[in-house]
Amino acid sequence: MTMVNININGQKVSAPAGSTILQAAKKAGIDIPTLCDHPALIPVGACRICVVEVKGQRTLITACTFPIAEGLEIQTESPQVVKARKLILDLLFSERNHYCPYCEMSGDCELQNLGYRYGLDHFIYPTYTKGFPIDATRKYFLMDHNRCVLCGRCERACGDLVANHTLGLRNRGANSMIHADANVPFGQSTCVSCGSCLQVCPTGALCDKRSAYMGHDIQMEHIKSTCNQCSVGCGMEIVTRGGNVLKIVGDWDAAVNSGLLCKNGRFDPLYDERQRVTMPLLRRRGKLEPASWEEALQAVAERVGKANAKDLGVLASTYATNEALYLLAKLFRKELKATNVGLLNDVAPKLSDKQGSLADIALGDVILVVGCDPLKDQPVASFFVKRSVDRGARLIVVDGKDNGLAPFAYMNLEMADIGKAIEIAQRAGNPVVVYGAGVTDKAATALKKLQGKASFVAIEPGVNTRAAAALGLNNGFKPSAVKVLYVLLGEQKMGAEDVSKNVDKKAFVIAQASFVSPLTERADVVLPMAIWSEREGSLTNTEGSVQKVNKAVEPAGEAKPDWEVISLLADKLGKKLGASLDEISARATQELK
Amino acid sequence: MAKVKVATDWLAGCAGCHMSLLDIDERIVKLLELVEITSSPVTDLKHPPKEGVTVGILEGAICNTHNIEVAKQMRERCQILIAVGDCATFGGIPAMRNLCGTEEALKRAYLDAETVVGGLIPDSPELGKPLEMVTGVGEVVKVDLFIPGCPPRADAFWYALTELLAGRVPIVLPPELFTYD
Repeated sequence: MTMVNININGQKVSAPAGSTILQAAKKAGIDIPTLCDHPALIPVGACRICVVEVKGQRTLITACTFPIAEGLEIQTESPQVVKARKLILDLLFSERNHYCPYCEMSGDCELQNLGYRYGLDHFIYPTYTKGFPIDATRKYFLMDHNRCVLCGRCERACGDLVANHTLGLRNRGANSMIHADANVPFGQSTCVSCGSCLQVCPTGALCDKRSAYMGHDIQMEHIKSTCNQCSVGCGMEIVTRGGNVLKIVGDWDAAVNSGLLCKNGRFDPLYDERQRVTMPLLRRRGKLEPASWEEALQAVAERVGKANAKDLGVLASTYATNEALYLLAKLFRKELKATNVGLLNDVAPKLSDKQGSLADIALGDVILVVGCDPLKDQPVASFFVKRSVDRGARLIVVDGKDNGLAPFAYMNLEMADIGKAIEIAQRAGNPVVVYGAGVTDKAATALKKLQGKASFVAIEPGVNTRAAAALGLNNGFKPSAVKVLYVLLGEQKMGAEDVSKNVDKKAFVIAQASFVSPLTERADVVLPMAIWSEREGSLTNTEGSVQKVNKAVEPAGEAKPDWEVISLLADKLGKKLGASLDEISARATQELK
Repeated sequence: MAKVKVATDWLAGCAGCHMSLLDIDERIVKLLELVEITSSPVTDLKHPPKEGVTVGILEGAICNTHNIEVAKQMRERCQILIAVGDCATFGGIPAMRNLCGTEEALKRAYLDAETVVGGLIPDSPELGKPLEMVTGVGEVVKVDLFIPGCPPRADAFWYALTELLAGRVPIVLPPELFTYD
């Protein structure tokens, strides 16, 4: 890496060639204020608050866009610079409604902080009269145009990061407005409600409806964790106050998603209105009644312990942690010798010895999406695909016309015509195959032709599917043979896949579940389980990276983390499988290697 | 040494800033050894003395013609004018009216409110006439020091007054006291 030597405020600084003045200064610990710039976005130099004085330059220049060159002499807080920044702030505050006291963001607003920094204590320009509408047509967050400073961060996040291109700027100067599509209400636009714009907005223009007016950031706690909604495994921060989860934000430092989240991960878990199971339930004289953990576990241990291995059935949801799945496999497969063990979702087939990573999608010139619908099921992965399409990659969707990515594809094919896609991929320089469990056996055989040529990126359905499959929990489940059934259901929704319907009515069913569902109502014992925000452990994403999940709040009622429930059951059965979470984690990680 | 004369008044405000001034607690005893509070909502004297005061303090926004009169009289009769609180500096809460317009705001409050029976918009000649636009005090008179905050911290008052008594005029308050949230 070539280093370039510059001088900032009399201090010698050296930074890699190609850095901007802002990046070089940041590296040297010199603070230059910014507003429209964001580390995750491409700089545009729109707001001009980062102007600095560069010796030999005719005017002040924007630090966020200006590349450094050998010998540059820069002043970041000279009287001329400070005067210019004050003027820019006075102008920014002179348009629209920037009265801080009744703004949701007051206290956490980047514009307000700049006002403090440069001593803005009154408006010097005449009071602005024009009012703008507030658009609250989206379910999760609203747009108050009166608070907008037209920095364009939201537009760039929507375009450059999410590749959705819903947001745009219309008109010029003081009449500029952020709008969706061809100026339609946000709720009716092509917006996918991923909330990336909300996360980058520096002012109160974009406002989360659920966590609004619930306090300043300084009063909240940010707990880093991993999203538990699909197999991508995005890094996130759970934001809590007083033991309540207020919101979820993307973790900019996370390797997988670099700060992006989707609607399924950012908002849906907070709007889950299903009724929780808060205490152990035990069927007595045909009726499910509250019981103590001791009684419930005793009842389970008695039935499970006495059952023949061939009568035992185990079903696992992939919403569970590595630790829980490891203990489940260990207890039922190894110790109790059960073979009738299955998962509540499918598993993507193995098409190549060398597994590609999600980052490979960014490098592909031809991208095949086969037998999966990331736009619907793993939206963050679909952002990666759409970003590549923006870059010029050709997208071929082999999954029928209803696939969410079909409108972005250069070619849409049925599974039977996969040969055509493979032909194109063979001619490409860097083909990438993004595939899921929907790949047919025939298509899988055909795709093997691309081995060694293409990068194969498996997108598993479910969440922790990769770990569950690796632990041998996808062994094929036959409902008819079951006399005692243990279901690790967790947070999974019971729907069409409700296999318990096909289980003998006389079978003894144990449900380890977080929410009340048809399964828990039919069960003989219900063991209450903590949800994503209430437990510690780890998850394996679709690429095979083991990532930590952390507890942000206390479990509801008497619910316990998934792994602990199985650990307690193992104790009751006299099987010692590991004492502490750390010990179990270490063993699970070892097994998954 | 003669005591320094101070006058205070409120315009379109809520009295919160005056409460915050009183919130300097026991330090008020020390302050009163050095200053004389002339006209003020606290002393209930309505006009600053004709011979003038050294420091004038105004709370609240300019939202009607009466506010302008009060602000102008204070400006004429004081040497150093301080605008305190978000209303006096930026327009604050009363400036929310600007988002819908004065006429609409009066209509909503006096005619359309759910509890109104036979509503009437007050227009007595004794009352100030509402202005089209609510603004900070700085828009109608020259202000020497702005202390924003809703309300400004008691320590901000104490800091500004002690600085003035020491013969210094602060331009902007130190960061820990400078806030408008």
